[in-house]
Amino acid sequence: MDPIRRTLLGQLARLSAGAALIPLSSVATAGINDQPSRRGGDPEKRYGMLIDLRRCIGCQACTVSCHIENAAPLGNFRTIVSQFEVEHEETGELATFMLPRLCNHCEDPPCVPVCPVQATFQRRDGIVVVDSDRCVGCAYCVNACPYDARFINKETQVADKCTFCAHRLEAGLLPACVESCVGGARIIGDMRDPQSEISRLIEQHRDELMILKPEKNTRPQVFYLGMDERFTTRPDEAKPGIWDVRNQQGKEIGYEFAGH
Amino acid sequence: MNLLATEVLVPRYGIAWYPWAVQYFFLIALSYTSLWLAAPGLIFGKRSWMPTARIAMLACVSTALVAPVALLADLHQPLRFWHFYGFPTPWSWMSLGSFILPLYLGAVLVLAWMSWRPALEERAQAPGWAGKVAGRLAWGRFRIPRPLIILVGLGALGLSLGIALYTGAEVAILRARPLWNTYWLPWMFVATGVIGACGLVLLLNRISRARNGATNRQMLTVLVMACLAAGLIALTWFLDGVNAETGSVAMALDSIRHNPEWRATALWGSFAGTLLLATAFFLRKRPGWRAWAWLVGLLALHVAWMFRWVVLMNVQTVARNSAGIHDYHVAFGSYGLLGILGTLGLWLAAILIIDLYIPWRGSEAKAIDTTTSSNPLDSSQGAPSHG
Repeated sequence: MDPIRRTLLGQLARLSAGAALIPLSSVATAGINDQPSRRGGDPEKRYGMLIDLRRCIGCQACTVSCHIENAAPLGNFRTIVSQFEVEHEETGELATFMLPRLCNHCEDPPCVPVCPVQATFQRRDGIVVVDSDRCVGCAYCVNACPYDARFINKETQVADKCTFCAHRLEAGLLPACVESCVGGARIIGDMRDPQSEISRLIEQHRDELMILKPEKNTRPQVFYLGMDERFTTRPDEAKPGIWDVRNQQGKEIGYEFAGH
Repeated sequence: MNLLATEVLVPRYGIAWYPWAVQYFFLIALSYTSLWLAAPGLIFGKRSWMPTARIAMLACVSTALVAPVALLADLHQPLRFWHFYGFPTPWSWMSLGSFILPLYLGAVLVLAWMSWRPALEERAQAPGWAGKVAGRLAWGRFRIPRPLIILVGLGALGLSLGIALYTGAEVAILRARPLWNTYWLPWMFVATGVIGACGLVLLLNRISRARNGATNRQMLTVLVMACLAAGLIALTWFLDGVNAETGSVAMALDSIRHNPEWRATALWGSFAGTLLLATAFFLRKRPGWRAWAWLVGLLALHVAWMFRWVVLMNVQTVARNSAGIHDYHVAFGSYGLLGILGTLGLWLAAILIIDLYIPWRGSEAKAIDTTTSSNPLDSSQGAPSHG
């Protein structure tokens, strides 16, 4: 990526994080592909997540605990930590970068208006959920999400995604990924409550927070602290690591997560 | 400062829309563009277009019958298709499409039935089961007034525009896939659809042994125009985005730069398109060679199908967040090869059943004017001729 574009995107990421922090009340509109009105959930709340990347060690405890909690099929992830090995081109200096990914529960979620049967919807507390009894499995939402946060669950044959562990939140528990995070990097909470930890952290680090893919105008509600702006979009020319492990016939080996 | 990043562990994000989707987009585009090819003769009463209209209507009905089956198969929960009607969602393009599609199918079937009725009625006099079936299908002895045919035809044309709009918009609105997210995609779907429909009519003109010279000439003319239109749309799309840092053109150039398979696809696409335009143009100028027009038809079908395959399947392999490109190999089962062959088989069955029970060859001319006999060059007799 060229430096000008990178700087631009970085600034965009910061600015958009700022804009996304102003939670707009849900507005029902009638136009094609506009957001429908939200339903269910507590209208007094707006859940969001702040991920302090300085505390993430890439242990994948969140990935595993989410898998156990939500029974996602092998090879599909509601959350995962992207791990990058980064080398400085001139000095050869090495570093690692960890990037936990999950559904961003966007303020303008592109997956919601596309759903042809209103199975995917946004609750009034901002959580985007799927009614698996209604979902027809058309996978339109899977293609509509810029963050790869959705997949078709091959066991249930319906769309599946992170729900911020809404079932746990309702029982007064933390989401599995937050509960299991060794470094306490993931902070979830009600952003409408000024006393909540997430609200205080957002207030404290307002100018440093970044979001993923700000250019998609989805206004994500998962905020990253300690983010390198080059990773807010897919890093150009990044090489896959484990994919390069192949046997003598050129066939991939050693990749446990392959779905086939 | 530049960095070299290696993503240590890359999850595999599989494709979400299967080859069924390609089959649906291919067949439904063939259907609505075939209707457009049938329109001058069948709806607007241009007599010189009647032989073409007969074949085009056959193409239109047979593809319209099979397309929804492919669409249904692409759902992971096909038995829940009624949810589309139980929970209408006017802000979703796909939901709008689920309402337009059955209306379109109905209009096409009624239009085809109206245009085939005079011949069915005639065949009803024939002895044996063929006559009985024709009698049942003709549904009595009466004459459908011409204005009613025109009205239904115009309705079908209106709905076909709805199909063209929704199939294009459904894909083009997805910001998450920059390669799709362009205003030029729906136009390209239409242009390649017309290319495919011309190809199908040329092919049917040959294999049904109608071998109508006028049809070949007309289809080659439309084919040349559609190729030029497709080229113009592709060029406009390219010039529109060539200087942009993001968007579909930038993404396409990126894909071509980094992936030899995409390079090969782009090269083949350009080659096939140019070859198609050149051969269609050549055959249009050389009537002596037109017996080979069906080969051009096959190439046109290939171009129309391949465009949809690349757009719908290959684009899904472009990684949005992770490093590299997602591998995709066509599976053998119903999610892959079997699905593709299955839809083709179903289409063949549909066209054979229509050919067996319906005298589609000689009906439309009579629907317009029962007093004049049609051109003797057309095999416009009621019975199928496999001579």
